[in-house]
Amino acid sequence: MSLEINCHLRRGKFNLEVHLTVAPGAVLAISGENGSGKTSTLDMIAGLLACTSGKISLNGKVFDDSTTSQFVQPELRGVATVFQGGGLFGHLTVEKNVIFGRGAAYRNTPRFDSAIEQFNLAELLSRKPSTLSGGQRQRVALARAFLAPSEVLLLDEPTTSLDATSRDEVRRAMKTFFETYNGVVVLVSHDDAEIAELATNVARITILRGENTTAVLQD
Amino acid sequence: MKRGLSAPRGLWLIALPTVAIVIVPVLAVFWRTDWSSFLNSISNETSRTALVLSLRTSLVATSLALVFGTPVAWLLANRDFKFKSLVRAFCVLPMVLPPVVGGVALLFAFGRRGVVGARLDEWFGIQLAFTETAAIMAQFFVAAPFFILVMEAAFDQVDRRIVGAARTFGAGPWRTFVTVTLGLVRPSLLAALVLTWARALGEFGATIAFAGNTAGRTQTVPLAVYSQLESGGDDALALSTLMMIVSVSVLIALRGRWVSALRRGGQ
Repeated sequence: MSLEINCHLRRGKFNLEVHLTVAPGAVLAISGENGSGKTSTLDMIAGLLACTSGKISLNGKVFDDSTTSQFVQPELRGVATVFQGGGLFGHLTVEKNVIFGRGAAYRNTPRFDSAIEQFNLAELLSRKPSTLSGGQRQRVALARAFLAPSEVLLLDEPTTSLDATSRDEVRRAMKTFFETYNGVVVLVSHDDAEIAELATNVARITILRGENTTAVLQD
Repeated sequence: MKRGLSAPRGLWLIALPTVAIVIVPVLAVFWRTDWSSFLNSISNETSRTALVLSLRTSLVATSLALVFGTPVAWLLANRDFKFKSLVRAFCVLPMVLPPVVGGVALLFAFGRRGVVGARLDEWFGIQLAFTETAAIMAQFFVAAPFFILVMEAAFDQVDRRIVGAARTFGAGPWRTFVTVTLGLVRPSLLAALVLTWARALGEFGATIAFAGNTAGRTQTVPLAVYSQLESGGDDALALSTLMMIVSVSVLIALRGRWVSALRRGGQ
């Protein structure tokens, strides 16, 4: 039972080969240079991109399969994502952003309260994302992803835009969350210290340059 | 002297006629308006009927543009399909077409002997030409392109990753469209609606060709102004002033928002 990815993505002259298996409870870190296909890998898992060929499945449930033309829409995959830069809804308040994956009634649950406390969001709930600092935005994005019902959690450079203090704070929060999370975590990071602290496995993208560039991501 | 780079000498002078040719007629209308009889002029039977009809038809035409134009704009901004540039060209064609030609085209399509109109009459007994519906269709024909153009630019500006985020957090395509995409484009949507409404309200050429100029039935304010002017009535000026006030108010309300929306779309 795990997240299995064996797929190929072609974008013009760029090719991405991904062969990964991640077990529940594991935290897989993906590292590699800019433009090597880290975010595209997350997008294929989340369902924002379809594989050109190959298959992605979670616990035997097929997400994407080019041979049978199966493609499960993102909203049905149970994949929560922390996007690079936050990916917050600019027209909604922090509170509405945080409970987007749950609905308004979730406001009254203990889990909501504890997430608000954990990410120090109590003062920010009625504010719009445009009025927040980069660190605050990222905390909102993390709270939103942690609260959403999910079996897979994807984090795309969650601490890149943060200053040292909020980076430590956010890392601690992630660590605490990962300890109790039963699903699969895939973390894209440039930071070796972060990978060492949070990840249980590491996969690096190797780039083979020729007439066409091929990036290979393998565990 | 102002410090910094200088502009080409004399540019202000050359720019002046363009500004003057717009400002002088506007001022002239306000200047010549007899303000003591203004209220009487715009509230007499003919004017009132024209105003109510204009308001009703333009609001319906704008609503139709909202309902049927939004999907067109979204598809043009988000999907690649065959003949896309042709579809876009046809959608904005009425903007460059002389409105009266548009009216003639509508007449040959939906008039009693038109390509579609003849069938409508024969099969369902429906006659569109020279009715209030025709006035609405004429307004929709000329005004909807403004809505589509502004909204396509707005949809194009929406960050695909934000829309993707909504999908991964469990929102289906429709919920994402309504709660996220439309929420993000709301300022442009309001600008597009006001602009579309203003264009519909001012429609003349297509209306007179397709809907005619029957007082109480298809005579909207611009047509009433024209008729008054022809017959030498005093109300033409008062109605023109009213239209002018509406137009200026629209521009003030938008504060240049539609201009920036169009500019973004052109990039």
